[in-house]
Amino acid sequence: MRIVLDRPRCEGHGLCEEAAPQLMHLDDEGELVLDREEVDGADAALANAAARVCPVAALRVA
Amino acid sequence: MTTTPPTSGVDLFADEVVLDPYPVYAELRERGPVVHLPANGVYALTRYDVVRDALADWESYSSDSIAFNPSANEALAGTSLASDPPVHTRLRAALTENLSPRALRGLKPRIEAKADALVAELVERGSFDAVDALARAFPLEVVADLIGFTGHARDNMLRWGQAAMQVLGPMNRRTAENFPVAGELYAWCSQVRAEDLAEGSVGRGIFDAEARGAVEPGAAGHIIHQYLGAGVDTTVAAIGNIVALFAAHPDQLDLVRADPSLVPAAFNEVLRFWPPVNAWGRRATRDTVIEGTVVPAGAQIAVLFGAGNRDPRHYENPDAFLVARNPVDHLSFGYGPHGCAGQGLARLEAHAVIAALSRRVGRIVVGPETRVPGNTTRSIEVLPVLEVTSV
Repeated sequence: MRIVLDRPRCEGHGLCEEAAPQLMHLDDEGELVLDREEVDGADAALANAAARVCPVAALRVA
Repeated sequence: MTTTPPTSGVDLFADEVVLDPYPVYAELRERGPVVHLPANGVYALTRYDVVRDALADWESYSSDSIAFNPSANEALAGTSLASDPPVHTRLRAALTENLSPRALRGLKPRIEAKADALVAELVERGSFDAVDALARAFPLEVVADLIGFTGHARDNMLRWGQAAMQVLGPMNRRTAENFPVAGELYAWCSQVRAEDLAEGSVGRGIFDAEARGAVEPGAAGHIIHQYLGAGVDTTVAAIGNIVALFAAHPDQLDLVRADPSLVPAAFNEVLRFWPPVNAWGRRATRDTVIEGTVVPAGAQIAVLFGAGNRDPRHYENPDAFLVARNPVDHLSFGYGPHGCAGQGLARLEAHAVIAALSRRVGRIVVGPETRVPGNTTRSIEVLPVLEVTSV
């Protein structure tokens, strides 16, 4: 599974980081950084949780 | 096999329904995920999954009909609120450049200090109207300072903000009475100049962006209009709801005091439990099948955030107010490409208020609240706080 970020749509709300801090974080500029893009098992569940809480649907797991 | 959606005689904009829509929401939700309401000429989306899916699906559900009367939809044409991708994508970027959490990061300490000072003063006073003294005073000050409103505009923010939401309803008496007031806001925004806004404000920044070509000519006024039209009345409602719900559920305030990390969860639950907006429009762009029933192309849709938020198919014990459930996926900010553009600012303000209340207030004793029917925003008009015990 792969985490896909629609970067122009991301506004830096940061709810994904709260859901999955192991996989992504906002940098000092408030830009989202995916620390891991390929995920499986428990990480895939976390990635799905992060995608689910994005308020502008900028994240998906494919 | 498809059929037509079930029908109900409910009028979504009747006084008693807008004041307390939850019994009607429960009835409609049981009837089906989408229910035809001939009284309003709309198809209402009632269950959590259907609401969320529709908000994400801009190809099937256009935003060119977010209001329930054609005049308001015409007036909103060309704004990000009322447009669809790809035009929407560009307008949204211009709108959020100065409003996204990314842009607002530096504001947090100032907003927290303001909320704390205001709550401390109110605790000292002991009795006050929580709507006037807190729910209105705080966001008006934050938004006015942020956008740079002064003088005439600052004095009229509340009236204009309320009217901008009222006129999204069907062509009833409330809409007709508010069109002239919403028109004042529209007129002011169409002639506002950079020098009318305070130096160094976000409002000035939008004009600077227009001057350097980052925002198309004439768009700055539209953007200012949306900040005020969409951001004032809803935030006032949310902050009034915070006070009312914590007064009614002191055990929930105790939980936040004991564990301040629950502040964001508490705001999510306030929004889930009482969304500031009752119904929001969309237009079906094509025949759409929802669980075996067909919503015809062209149909006016009513998205019922509060009905979805109380759907027992999604939230356990949905009619209970429980901060610890932390419903991060509530529908009250909408979702997807049109998800509330000001939600970052709303969170900054509300989190600051909840944190200050939980730190400084033991119990809030309130008298009966007064509500006035509204077409779009559901809010408390007067909330008399009779006594506040300090921690």
